[in-house]
Amino acid sequence: MVAIARKADPAPHLGRSRAAASLGRKARRNVSAHGFLIGAVLCFFFFSWYPMYREVIMSFQKTQLGVTSWAGWANYIRIFHDPTFWVAWRNTLEFTVLALIVGYAVPFFVAILLNELRHAKGYLRCLVYLPVMLPPTSALLLFAYFYDPNYGLFNDILHTLHLPTSQWVQSPGTTIPSMAMISVVIAATWMNMGGATLIYLAALQNIPGELYEAAELDGAGLVKKIRHITIPQTRLILSMLLMLQIVATMQMFVEAFILTNGGAGVNNNTLSVVNLIYTYAFALSGASNYDSASALGVVLMLVLAIFSGTYLWLTRDRDHG
Amino acid sequence: MATLPIARPRLARAQPGPRPRTLVSSSQLNLPRGKIIYRIVLTLVVVIFTLVFIGPLYFLFSDGLKSTTEAVQVPPTLIPAHVHPSTYVSAWSRVGLGRLLFNTLYYAFGALFFQLIFDVTAAYSLSKLRPAGGKLIFALMLATLMIPSTVLLVPQYITVANLPILHLNLIGSPAAIWLPSVANAFNIFLLKRFFDSVPQELLHAAAIDGASPLRTLRSVVLPISRPILAVVSIFALVAVWKDFLWPLLVEYGYNPSRETLNVGIYEAANTTPQNLVLAASAMAAVPTVIFFLVFQRNILSGLIAGSLKG
Amino acid sequence: MMAGITVVAALGLGAAACGSSPAASSSASGHVTISVDCAPPASSAQQHKEWNEDVATFEKENPSITIDSIYENPCEVPASFTAMLGAGTEPNVFYTYFTDKDQVLDAGQAADITPYVNTKTVPMLDDIVPSAMASVTAGKTIYGLPTSNYTQGLVINRQLFTEAGLNPNDPPTTWAAVEKDAAAITKLGNGIYGYGDYSAGNNGGWHFSSELDAMGGHMINPAGTAASFDTPEGAAILQALHTMRFVDHSMSPTQQLEWGALQKQMAAGKLGMYIAAPDDIYNVIVPQDGGNINDYGMGPIPTATGTPAGSLSGGNDYMFAKRDTPAQIEAGIKWLVFESLTPGQGVYFNFARQKADGFPVGFPEPQLFTGSTEAQYDKLLDASATINPSYYSTFANSRETPMGEPVDAQAVYKTLDPVMLSVLTNPNPNISQLLATATSQVNQILANSG
Repeated sequence: MVAIARKADPAPHLGRSRAAASLGRKARRNVSAHGFLIGAVLCFFFFSWYPMYREVIMSFQKTQLGVTSWAGWANYIRIFHDPTFWVAWRNTLEFTVLALIVGYAVPFFVAILLNELRHAKGYLRCLVYLPVMLPPTSALLLFAYFYDPNYGLFNDILHTLHLPTSQWVQSPGTTIPSMAMISVVIAATWMNMGGATLIYLAALQNIPGELYEAAELDGAGLVKKIRHITIPQTRLILSMLLMLQIVATMQMFVEAFILTNGGAGVNNNTLSVVNLIYTYAFALSGASNYDSASALGVVLMLVLAIFSGTYLWLTRDRDHG
Repeated sequence: MATLPIARPRLARAQPGPRPRTLVSSSQLNLPRGKIIYRIVLTLVVVIFTLVFIGPLYFLFSDGLKSTTEAVQVPPTLIPAHVHPSTYVSAWSRVGLGRLLFNTLYYAFGALFFQLIFDVTAAYSLSKLRPAGGKLIFALMLATLMIPSTVLLVPQYITVANLPILHLNLIGSPAAIWLPSVANAFNIFLLKRFFDSVPQELLHAAAIDGASPLRTLRSVVLPISRPILAVVSIFALVAVWKDFLWPLLVEYGYNPSRETLNVGIYEAANTTPQNLVLAASAMAAVPTVIFFLVFQRNILSGLIAGSLKG
Repeated sequence: MMAGITVVAALGLGAAACGSSPAASSSASGHVTISVDCAPPASSAQQHKEWNEDVATFEKENPSITIDSIYENPCEVPASFTAMLGAGTEPNVFYTYFTDKDQVLDAGQAADITPYVNTKTVPMLDDIVPSAMASVTAGKTIYGLPTSNYTQGLVINRQLFTEAGLNPNDPPTTWAAVEKDAAAITKLGNGIYGYGDYSAGNNGGWHFSSELDAMGGHMINPAGTAASFDTPEGAAILQALHTMRFVDHSMSPTQQLEWGALQKQMAAGKLGMYIAAPDDIYNVIVPQDGGNINDYGMGPIPTATGTPAGSLSGGNDYMFAKRDTPAQIEAGIKWLVFESLTPGQGVYFNFARQKADGFPVGFPEPQLFTGSTEAQYDKLLDASATINPSYYSTFANSRETPMGEPVDAQAVYKTLDPVMLSVLTNPNPNISQLLATATSQVNQILANSG
C-alpha cells in the first residue's frame, strides 16, 4: 500500500504540551464517539435493557388483587415443581439436537452442492432464500395443511405411493425423536435455511482452489476433500453459525405454536420452554401465572447466557474481537 | 485540499479469468462421463429445489383462487376446478389490503430509516472510534440476542406504555414500532464486522486531510459499504414485515388505519372465509419477494462480503 | 452534533407520540369521552355499519358523551389483554369474558361501579339472570355489566341427517345415540364424518368440561379445592369419543382442532354433529364460512340419560377501567344499557334491523333475561324471526341450567386438552391414567392459586 507520510498536526496548539494536546483530542474523539452511539444506546436502554431488568424484578414479585408484593423465590420454586417444566426442557434439548442435525448440516451440504454447479446458480440461490421472506404465519399455514393427517398433501402423496401415512405433528409418540417433533423441525428448516445456506456459500467461495488441486494429486476422493479441506477452511463460519443455531433453536416458538394450534402436541411432546413461557403468561389467565412466566424467562436467559459464554470462551482463541 | 482517494476493495463477485477451483475440477467435468453425471445432477437439483421451495408457494396462491367449499375439499384438488380470480379482488377490498400494505410499508421504511441512522453510526463508533466503555456496551448489546422476544413481550409493552424518566406513552404511535427496532444487535454486529475490515489506511488518509469522524463516515466508509448496507436493510425490512405479536400489542384495535398486514389478516381470519384469507396471505407475501428479487445481487454480495472478512 | 440530533429526534418523536394514548378524558365543560372496544371491524360490513349507526344515534341523544370505538375482532387476544391490564392501558369500557374477572381483579384494573348501578340507570337490572350478574360481581361489589351468555347444545347438519336416513327433528340425546347416528352419517363417505370435537387451544378441555357438566358432574368440587372429574361419567365421555374415533371411525383422523375448525367443516357439509352454542351458527358458520342457514338445527348436549343436568355456560361482559372518572362510568353504563341490554335495539337485540340487513334471527340465545324483560324480548324476537324455531326446539326445551365455568377455567381447560387429544389420536390410551394425571395437575393449579 501507499506509504502515508505523517503531516503536522493541522491544529497547532501553541503554548500547550504535547500530552495535553493529545488528551484534548482524545476527549473530543470520545465525545463524538459517544455521540454516535447515543441513539442506539438509548433505544437499547428503553426497549431492551430496561424491560429485561423489569422482567427479572417481576420474577420475584407476586400480584394479587391489584397489590404487588415481594415473593422471593416462590415463583421459581413453583415452576420447578411443575412436571411440564422438565418435559419442556427435555423437549427443547431434543429440538436443539434435531435442529442441529437437520437445520445445521442440511444448509451446509446444500451450499456445497450449489457451489459445485456451474449453471442456474442465481436461480437456485433465490429459491433457497425465498421461504425466509414469507411471513411465518403464511408459511406455517401451508405446512399445517400439508401435515393434516386426513386430507393433507403429504399423506396424499404417501398414499398414492402406497407408503404408510403418518400423523405428522399429531403423532402421539414421546420417543426420542418423536415424529411430531421431526415434523416441526422440517417445517422450521424449510422456513429458515436460506440465510445459513447463503452464508456458507459465500465462505465456500473463499477456499483457495490450489488446496483441492494438491489434495487430488495426493489421490483424495470427494469425501476426503470435504473432510480435510472444506470443513477446516470454513470452521470459523461453521463455529459461529453453530452457536447462533443453538441459541435460535432454544428460542423457537412460532413454528410449534402454530402447527399445534397453540397446544403442545399429544402428551406435550412438542412443548418447548418458550411455549411454556407463553402458556404461563397468556394461555392461563391469572396474574400469578404471569409471574411464573417471568421466572421461567429469567431461567431461560441464564441458561442461554451461560451456554453462549462458555461456548465463546472455549472458542476464544479463534475469535477476532 | 486534494480530494480523498476512495479505494474500493474488490468484492468476491463475478471475477474475470478462470473459475476458481472447487471440489470437483473442471477437467473432470469435461470428461464425457463427467458431463453426463453433471447434467443429471443439475437437472435433479433444479427440479427438486423448485418443487421443494416453490411448490408450497403454488398452493398458497392457488388455494386463494378456489371457491370457499373447494378450499376445504377432501382430498385437496391440485388445480382449482373453477378459477375464481374474484377471490383475490374481494380479499383485497374486504381485508383492506391496500391500507394495510401502506401501513406496513410505512412502518418498515421508518424502521429502516432509524436503523440506518442510529445503528450504522453506533457500529462505526464501536468499530473505529473506540469510545471508552465501548466493549462493555457492545457485549450488553449482544446479550440481548440471548432472549426470545416472547419472554420480554409484556415488560416491553409496559415500558412502552410508560417510558421511564420521560413518562411518555407510545402505544398507538408509529414510534412504538420504529424505535424498538433500532435495538437490533444482530445488524450492529454485522455492520461492526464490516467496518472492522475497512483498512485503517483509508481512515488515516481522511484524518490527515482534517476530516471529522462524521465526514469520514459519510465520504469514505459509507460509499464502500453498500453491500453490507443492503444486507442490513433487507434484514431490517423483513423483520418488521414479518413481525406479528408486537404490532398486535401496540397497534391493534387502537386505530384500524394503523394495523400491519399480519395483524389485519389475523383479524380477517375470524370474519372472512378461508379462501379469502389464503388469498390475502398470498398477496401479503409478494412485496418482500419482489424486493428481494430486485435487490438480490446487492444482498448476496453483501452477505458474501459481510461474512468473509475477518 | 450527532448526539444532539439524535436526542432531539427521539424526544420529538416521543412528544408527537404523547397525544395518541387511547385513554380518554373529560373536559371542564362536562363533555365526556369514553373508549369502548370490541366494535365490529370494517371486515364485518353489516355489523360495522349497525354499530356506527348506533353510536351516531346515541351521541345525538346524549350530546355530552362521545364514544371512541375500538374496532377489533377477535375482541380479546390473550397477549393483548394481559399486556393491557399490566400497563393499565385498557379502554374505559372494555370487553371481557366471564372467566376473566379474577385476572382483572388481580391486576387491580377493575373499577367498582356498584354506586352507579341501580334500577334507574339500568331499568332491566332485576330481570338479568342471576348467573350472569354473578359473573360480574365479587362479594357485593359490581364490576361490570353482562352483555351475553350462552349454554351449549348439539349442533346438527339437518341435510346430512336426512341423507343418512335419520330424522333431523330428533337429534340424538344420549352418547349411545350419538355413536349410532355418527356411524350412519359417516357411511355417506366422501370425507364426511359424523362427529367432531376439539382437542387444542384450551378448547378440548372446554368441551370436556361442558360434556361433564351435562352429565351432572363437576370439574372442581364445590369448595373449589380439588379436581372432581376423575369419575365414571368423565371416563364414559372419553370412552365414547375414543370409540367413535377408533372403532366406528366416525371421527376424522385430523385432530388437534381448535375453535374455528369444526365450524368450517359444518359449513362445508363434511360434519354431522358437534357441540356448540347457537352463536356458532349465526356468527360463524353462516356469515363467514358460507353455510346455508336452513341446514342446521340443535338438540341438547348428549348425556347418559338423555336429559342434561345443566350446561357449561359462559358469556361476556364489559368492565370499567380503574382510572375511569365517575362521569365516564355513568356514560359507560348509559351506553351499555342503550347498546347491549335493551330488547329491540343495539348490536344484539335490534331484531328488525338484523332481519333487514340479512342476518338470521330467532335463535334461543342469549338467555340473559327473565320476567317481563324476557317476555318483551321473546315477542320482538318472534316478530322478526327468519329461521324455523322448530329446528332448535329440543335444545330450547331442555332448558339447560347454566352452570358457569370452573375456577381457574383456562388453566383447567389447558390441562384437559392433552387428555382429549390422547383419546382422539392414540389407539390405546389409558383413560384412568390420563384422568389421574390430570387430576393431580389441576390440584396443583388450585393449590398454587389459592
